[in-house]
Amino acid sequence: MSSPRNQPILLFNNVSFTYAEDKPFIDGLTFSMEDGEFIGLLGSNGSGKSTILKLACGILRQSAGYVSLWGKPLTAYRNKDRAKLLCYLPQLLDLQVPFRVRELVSMGLYPYDIPPGITVDEALELVGLADKSDVFVMNLSGGERRRTFIAMTLLQEAGLVLLDEPLANLDIKYQLELLRLLRELQAQKNISVIMALHDINMAMQFPKVMLIKEGKILSSGSPEHVLTKDLLKEAFDVGIEIRKDGSGATYMSYENFL
Amino acid sequence: MYKVKITTVIVIAASILFISLFLGPKVINPFSLDATETNILLSIRLPRVIVAALVGVALGASGAILQGLLRNPLADPYILGISSGAALAATVGLLSGSYLSCTFSIPFTAFTGALVVSLLVGMFGWKRGGILPERLLLAGIGLSFLFYALLMLLISISSDAEMRRAVLWIFGDLSLADWSLIPYGLLLIVSGLFLSISRAKALNALMLGDDLAHSLGFSIHKEKILFFVAVALMTAASVAMGGTIGFIGLLIPHIVRFLIGADNRRLIPVSALCGGAFLCIADLIGKSIMHPAEIPSGIVTAIIGAPYFLFLLRRRDVLTT
Amino acid sequence: MRKSIVTVIAIISSCLLPPYAQGGATPDRIISLAPNITEILFALELGTHVVGVTNFCDYPGEARKKPKIGGMSNPSLEAVISQDPDIVVMTTDGNQKEFEEQLRSLKIKTYVFKARRIHELPQGIRDLGHALGVNERANVLAGEIETSLRAFEARGLDLSSLPHPPPGTARVKDRKTKVIFIIWPEPLIVAGPGTVIHDIITLLRCNNIASRSRGAYPKYSLEDIIRQEPDFIFIGKGHENVREISQGLLKKISTVPAVRNGSVCFVSDALYRLGPRIVRGIEEMEECIRSKSLQ
Repeated sequence: MSSPRNQPILLFNNVSFTYAEDKPFIDGLTFSMEDGEFIGLLGSNGSGKSTILKLACGILRQSAGYVSLWGKPLTAYRNKDRAKLLCYLPQLLDLQVPFRVRELVSMGLYPYDIPPGITVDEALELVGLADKSDVFVMNLSGGERRRTFIAMTLLQEAGLVLLDEPLANLDIKYQLELLRLLRELQAQKNISVIMALHDINMAMQFPKVMLIKEGKILSSGSPEHVLTKDLLKEAFDVGIEIRKDGSGATYMSYENFL
Repeated sequence: MYKVKITTVIVIAASILFISLFLGPKVINPFSLDATETNILLSIRLPRVIVAALVGVALGASGAILQGLLRNPLADPYILGISSGAALAATVGLLSGSYLSCTFSIPFTAFTGALVVSLLVGMFGWKRGGILPERLLLAGIGLSFLFYALLMLLISISSDAEMRRAVLWIFGDLSLADWSLIPYGLLLIVSGLFLSISRAKALNALMLGDDLAHSLGFSIHKEKILFFVAVALMTAASVAMGGTIGFIGLLIPHIVRFLIGADNRRLIPVSALCGGAFLCIADLIGKSIMHPAEIPSGIVTAIIGAPYFLFLLRRRDVLTT
Repeated sequence: MRKSIVTVIAIISSCLLPPYAQGGATPDRIISLAPNITEILFALELGTHVVGVTNFCDYPGEARKKPKIGGMSNPSLEAVISQDPDIVVMTTDGNQKEFEEQLRSLKIKTYVFKARRIHELPQGIRDLGHALGVNERANVLAGEIETSLRAFEARGLDLSSLPHPPPGTARVKDRKTKVIFIIWPEPLIVAGPGTVIHDIITLLRCNNIASRSRGAYPKYSLEDIIRQEPDFIFIGKGHENVREISQGLLKKISTVPAVRNGSVCFVSDALYRLGPRIVRGIEEMEECIRSKSLQ
């Protein structure tokens, strides 16, 4: 795992990106991320969350501006070196992989010639799959499969982990479990995390939220700052307000629903 | 977990390769060789067993690689149309009489045909700077249809004798095994094997999907191209030496994966070895059952392979194990 | 009323009865669907009556100038009809039965040449001659062939009867000469039992070592040739470069005495057609053996 430096670990500087030949999908995006942050990238479907994550890890190439990782341009890294610093988990995980849990998790070591530290068993222990190490991945439940891939990213010992909607299609119990697991791991291993999601409820759990609409950052900061009525209306086109009740717990209130 | 199984499989496969030298249509006793038997052993059986082993190795390895690359457990080296291109080229060579009148002419034509098709398929499968598996597959199937149609056309206008020769070649003729071909075949197949086994980790990662493979630090376009080249070379070499012999690339990786898992670092070499052993057995059967006549090995592999393939389909987890 | 019914019945039945060739006048326009038939027709001096041949009919030279009607297994019905033939002659060996049925349903006269083995050839020629109204010439031709065949049989390729037996065969006085006839060297295809060539080998009182296999033209085992040690190897010239193409094969079986002694004969494809030239083919085989044994 890389040692922290005195500069943002991830920097987008005036980044633009186009999918089709006409107007840019992302235009002049600029933000930075500090070491140790746990950011929820919130936006509706098609707002650009996946694109931003893919630009951040190099799967997509920007058409203008640059992305830098620990102060060095992303494109300057060799593939293996970048993989030791940064990893990305896509939203859709192929169901048909013929590997067992143990085999899949150990693929996190591929960028390394010498295993950096954590062992497969330790990683499996951390994600709670120690008893399923010989099961075929496709025989696991959705949540277990996600956790397997989380274990794989642990072995990759990347300082920055990018997750694209890892909570999608999970029951609420497993959503909360996964979130808690990630928070614990982040605290233990001091990794930085950006997680894309479109569930406002979950976003409220994050220490920092970036609200995205049409490839632009509407707002960035703590949930109280970002999840205001006006901003939520602009981002999701619906009247929602986050309120605190008497005991200090927050809840969402919908305007004129039913 | 797999160590014992792997060792057993390797030992059995290697033994088969060795023993098939002596079994042949008539058993040769290695301890009592006279001049005739020695001649048969060295100038007929040895090259033939070597070619069978090489062709089986090439097809077994190519099947394993393609099933990973295309992420399709039903992929096999011929699905990319390489076999139809080679068969067409070889038939043109056989029929047109533009023989270079040496042992190389048909193998060379077949090899060129196979490579040309690989190139075509690669070009059709290319989009946005990289090879897309789905496009490769569709291009291969489309080209296969085209070439087989042309092949049927050629065969329909040829004489009976020419037709027989073409069909015999197409069905896999290891009797053409010749020492002069073996060095080239060996070079190409060993290169392809080396190229693919040394990068087996990349193939494992590619099987998880392009995004994850990228995340794990692999250049997905470069790796796909390299694997495709390895498959094209090995398949073209195998078709040039032994005609089109089917089912090995499809079934052997399935069986091996079931026995020792899907990790390509083990799957590719063991599939190669088992492919070689299987073809030796098939050739043995083809030589012996209707002695002194011979059945082309491709027919034997089809007769064994097709029912087994159908049997496999009945199992629920066929697509994964 | 009764008269018209009878007329109608007569007309209908004449349409239903398949037209078949009967002996009688020589048809003016004949189409041949096989090379050996073409050769027989020309040998029967019916060349001027031939109005259509297959793509493979190349003997005699005049046959090549005749209009082509397609291949043996896939002749063109249109081409045949457009030549307005009086009769179409076809064989059971190489032509499709379905084509004959098609011709019949179009009311075109057909004749099927049924001879497939050498001893059937003379009678086949006589039957064909009868159907085409050239009985005398057919008899003569058939007679010539029969005489030649009997002479061959009498002489045989019995090595002990030769003035100078080939080297290394002095010990074979008490057994039949072992022979193999290679149709194509790579892949190795030989003439097996049930073929005309096998008949010829038997006629010459030799032993075809490939007679143990079951097919007519099997793909053969090289090992077996080495073990069987044939006395003579014949290679049919099915292709102009066959000598070069055979080098690879001959190298592999170089320990066979026949190869070592040079007792390998290349013979023309006259033997492949069951027609008048087959006699010449057999002569070739004889000639080659004799010349080898005189060395």
